[in-house]
Amino acid sequence: MRLYEKNASELSEMLRAKQCSASELCNDVLDRINEVENEIGAFVTVDAEGAKENAARVDKAIADGEKLHPLAGIPIGIKDNISTKGMRTTCSSRMLENYVPPFDAFVADKVKSAGMTILGKMNMDEFAMGSSTETSYMHLTRNPHNTECVPGGSSGGSAAAVAAGEAVVTLGSDTGGSIRQPAALCGVVGMKPTYGSVSRYGLVAFASSLDQIGPMGRSVKDVAMVQSLICGHDPMDATSKNMEYPDYAAGLNENVQGLRIGIPKEYFGNGIDDSVKSAVMEAVKQYESNGAVIKEISLPSTEYAINTYYIIASAEASSNLARFDGVKYGYRAKDYTNLIDMYEKTRSEGFGDEVKRRIMLGTFVLSSGYFDAYYKKAKIVQKNISQEFSNAFEQCDIIATPTVPASAFKIGENIGDPIKMYYNDVCTVTVNIAGLPAISLPCGKDGKGMPMGLQLIGDKFTEQKLLNAAYAYEKMCGGFDTLAKITGEAK
Amino acid sequence: MKIDIKHIAKLARLRIEDDKLEKFEKDMESIVNMVDKLPDVTDTLELDASEPMALREDKAVTGKFTRDEMLANAPEVQAGCLVVPKTVE
Amino acid sequence: MKDYEIVVGLEVHAELNTDSKIYCNCKNAFGLEVNSQVCPVCMGMPGTLPTLNSKVVDYAIKMGHALNCKINRVCKQDRKNYFYPDLPKAYQISQADVPLCENGCLEFMVDGEIKKVRITRIHIEEDAGKLLHDESFAGSLVDLNRCGVPLIEIVSEPDIRSSAEAKAYLDTIKSILQYIGISDCKMQEGSIRCDVNVSVNEKGAKEFGTRSEMKNVNSFSAAVRGIEYEAKRQIEVLEAGGTVAQETRRWDDAKGVSVVMRSKEDAQDYRYFPEPDMLTIVVDEERVNKLKESLPELPNIKIKRYVSELGLSQTDAVLIAEAMDKSRLFDEAVALNMCSAKNISNWILGDISKYVNETGKTIDETELTAKNLCVLIQQIEKNVISNSAGKKVFQVIVEDGSDPLKVIEEKGLAQNSDTGFIEELVKEVLANNEKSINDYKNGKTNALGYLVGQCMKASKGKANPGLVKETVTKMLND
Repeated sequence: MRLYEKNASELSEMLRAKQCSASELCNDVLDRINEVENEIGAFVTVDAEGAKENAARVDKAIADGEKLHPLAGIPIGIKDNISTKGMRTTCSSRMLENYVPPFDAFVADKVKSAGMTILGKMNMDEFAMGSSTETSYMHLTRNPHNTECVPGGSSGGSAAAVAAGEAVVTLGSDTGGSIRQPAALCGVVGMKPTYGSVSRYGLVAFASSLDQIGPMGRSVKDVAMVQSLICGHDPMDATSKNMEYPDYAAGLNENVQGLRIGIPKEYFGNGIDDSVKSAVMEAVKQYESNGAVIKEISLPSTEYAINTYYIIASAEASSNLARFDGVKYGYRAKDYTNLIDMYEKTRSEGFGDEVKRRIMLGTFVLSSGYFDAYYKKAKIVQKNISQEFSNAFEQCDIIATPTVPASAFKIGENIGDPIKMYYNDVCTVTVNIAGLPAISLPCGKDGKGMPMGLQLIGDKFTEQKLLNAAYAYEKMCGGFDTLAKITGEAK
Repeated sequence: MKIDIKHIAKLARLRIEDDKLEKFEKDMESIVNMVDKLPDVTDTLELDASEPMALREDKAVTGKFTRDEMLANAPEVQAGCLVVPKTVE
Repeated sequence: MKDYEIVVGLEVHAELNTDSKIYCNCKNAFGLEVNSQVCPVCMGMPGTLPTLNSKVVDYAIKMGHALNCKINRVCKQDRKNYFYPDLPKAYQISQADVPLCENGCLEFMVDGEIKKVRITRIHIEEDAGKLLHDESFAGSLVDLNRCGVPLIEIVSEPDIRSSAEAKAYLDTIKSILQYIGISDCKMQEGSIRCDVNVSVNEKGAKEFGTRSEMKNVNSFSAAVRGIEYEAKRQIEVLEAGGTVAQETRRWDDAKGVSVVMRSKEDAQDYRYFPEPDMLTIVVDEERVNKLKESLPELPNIKIKRYVSELGLSQTDAVLIAEAMDKSRLFDEAVALNMCSAKNISNWILGDISKYVNETGKTIDETELTAKNLCVLIQQIEKNVISNSAGKKVFQVIVEDGSDPLKVIEEKGLAQNSDTGFIEELVKEVLANNEKSINDYKNGKTNALGYLVGQCMKASKGKANPGLVKETVTKMLND
């Protein structure tokens, strides 16, 4: 078994026991990238040199007997919308193709301080707008389970790299499902933490009130370890919650005796594949047979979730992406006649069509005469959706749903139909709207041999409970078979 | 609903090329029709005072970044300034 | 021509003199090297977030109290979206529907009358950068040092009826900002600017006329000129049978004209929405009250008090009240209750002002104390020394802070008011000036002055000049 196949928790032990060195680990993962990256396309930037330097530093520190963070020397990939000082951060957009941030995101700083080996930056949908990584200006990312299929999105590169062994763990960002949906489609574990538990400082904003950075990995414990590293109060982010954050990995517990699991009927209706429904219900049965209490619940405002989401997210995006105007950084059009012409050409050439569509929608819903009918109404519905979740969490500890309505679709299949693409997020957006934590777990494969996802949703700041429930499922399954056999056409 | 794509594009400082205009218009209209389906809510939006924002102490920190670092990504720089096409009020 | 009424509303933007900027910890400073006071936050780099400076909130609340506003302890910030090269994020963080302070009023004196102007609101926001234009260069240059400098915007109701009222309003706002120490109000640095809304209507009309908004008004005197020009322009339009257009105009102070910037049809659509990078601002009641208690007596209140209680003229009251060092000295001196307020006022606006103007010092930087000033004035009031001797004493005590009584004694400045002594003196002088006596009796009244002068000379300046004059007059007429 090669080193790249192992999980972070095992590798952490091995490094400490000197069963392998950080450099050996780093080199093996870099080799794996060389072997499969042409097929997968998970990275925008690979920083082999920087990775090797860090690994050497960690090895020296181990040799010197320094006390290291458990994740020191573990290779990680970072989604390319998270600012990394001195390493270009493109958001997979022409607009930022050559942008090199002069500062580190809060999470990038945490990752560096822990001594993790940064392999490079992961491909994504342009500015995190999409559910297939097809809107990347850079290149496609393919699903390791079937390279004809999309890896999901927008954190498609982060999910595919973990599934393909090109990274041990990765960071993604999730605005409407962008960690959980690709995790489900690539058969790995991905968590969207509670809004406010991970600082957004340095995350290139898509929708500020919904965006959250989170970890992806091949086991629940790996995800818990990374979450413990990246969470915490940051005075640079006014929406960051100032509280004590536990060590989730140390606190993992597989006991589900008496755990109340809510099943919201709205998430099992039309539009959800039968194979997905039965896989999720099978998982629920396993919980029940291990002592959990299953309750049917109702979240009636779910039907408005997609609409609410697209209004709020697009409105914020239209404002957040206005700063890309060719003045201070990023792309500037070559020929222009005056200031307005420079703005319009820069933005029209620098942004892809999906980004333009969202900016247009957001501009429209905020424009004079429409604000009340769209944005304000959406904010009220958002409050109602949050309230329904709050009520539900009085009856249960965890809510279980599918992560995605179906397994990965073929590349190009939905690209011409934005609405169809948007409905991929139908099970995940409510979580962002309500600011809750949720995790997607591998939940078997469908008839096409493609992974499906089980989504567990927790109440605000109950990541430990959520991770425990996830950990329990992993144990019930006898571990997750998360590393993909890269294949052109699944059986 | 009919949407004035050109007006919205102007507000957003975007230019939709003529050959893409029709598809854009169609997509936008179907998206707006989708998001149009919201319940008739009449509640007012109250400010949430339960989570007061922590404020920053007024203390300046100098020498954090050099001007060169700040301007390193700029498309055009002259005399320590960003350069834009001439603006006339 | 019909009789018209001018209606003016003012929006004053004042930069706050905090140490750091409103949303990042860059230095809030003027006049430094271009783009040297910027960081990823105020430069709007992708991924950066704003954090609100607590002092900005405090300062705005203080101004809210000074203008008798209701303080919205729970409020929020909003984004105002528009593209311009001096606005790096392409939105300004401001406050839309829930400002920090609202519904206030300001009273001040104009032409001896008390004028009241209602304050609509005061909100906090960030300043934009600066565009530099140079003929030698094809483009414009952008300096972002000013981005994120904290501003408060003070919006008045359209309660102002003349350019003189507007000037008095602006002067009052400025002196309050300085009194409570929240803004440097340096016009030449642009730290206080205003937008002017003007309309005209026939006297007695039930509704206001259509208003125009004038931007780029960079001084209070420009505001006066702008209002007068704009009112005249609108009246001419109406007199010619036209209608005034609702538009935004730009004031060109050099040319003394306003020109159209944009019409109502081109009005900007700012797409305001709540700033999602921030939570609700919640200020606890105790803090609001504490800020209120921290306020000094404000200049507009002082002026009212000086005029109605101390009998100063409005002109003198304004001159003293609007300068903090003058009013502090005045208030301290009046409180000692040793001499008349009017005399204190005369000294402050006379010799003291002259001294500080000549030396370039503030009153606080001199050695003058309220106590010493009052002792000096008292000696004059009691005729112990003459007014001109008083000026000599002042020159000493303002420089070294010594006791005026000692100075009078050391310099032998005390005058002799003994009637016996003065009568002897006058007799002697009259005896030696027969010619002048005759001149006086023949109607040459200036002979009196000559005789008094001779008496003063004979006494080596020590005789009480009032008493001398009185005695000479009496003896000549006997």
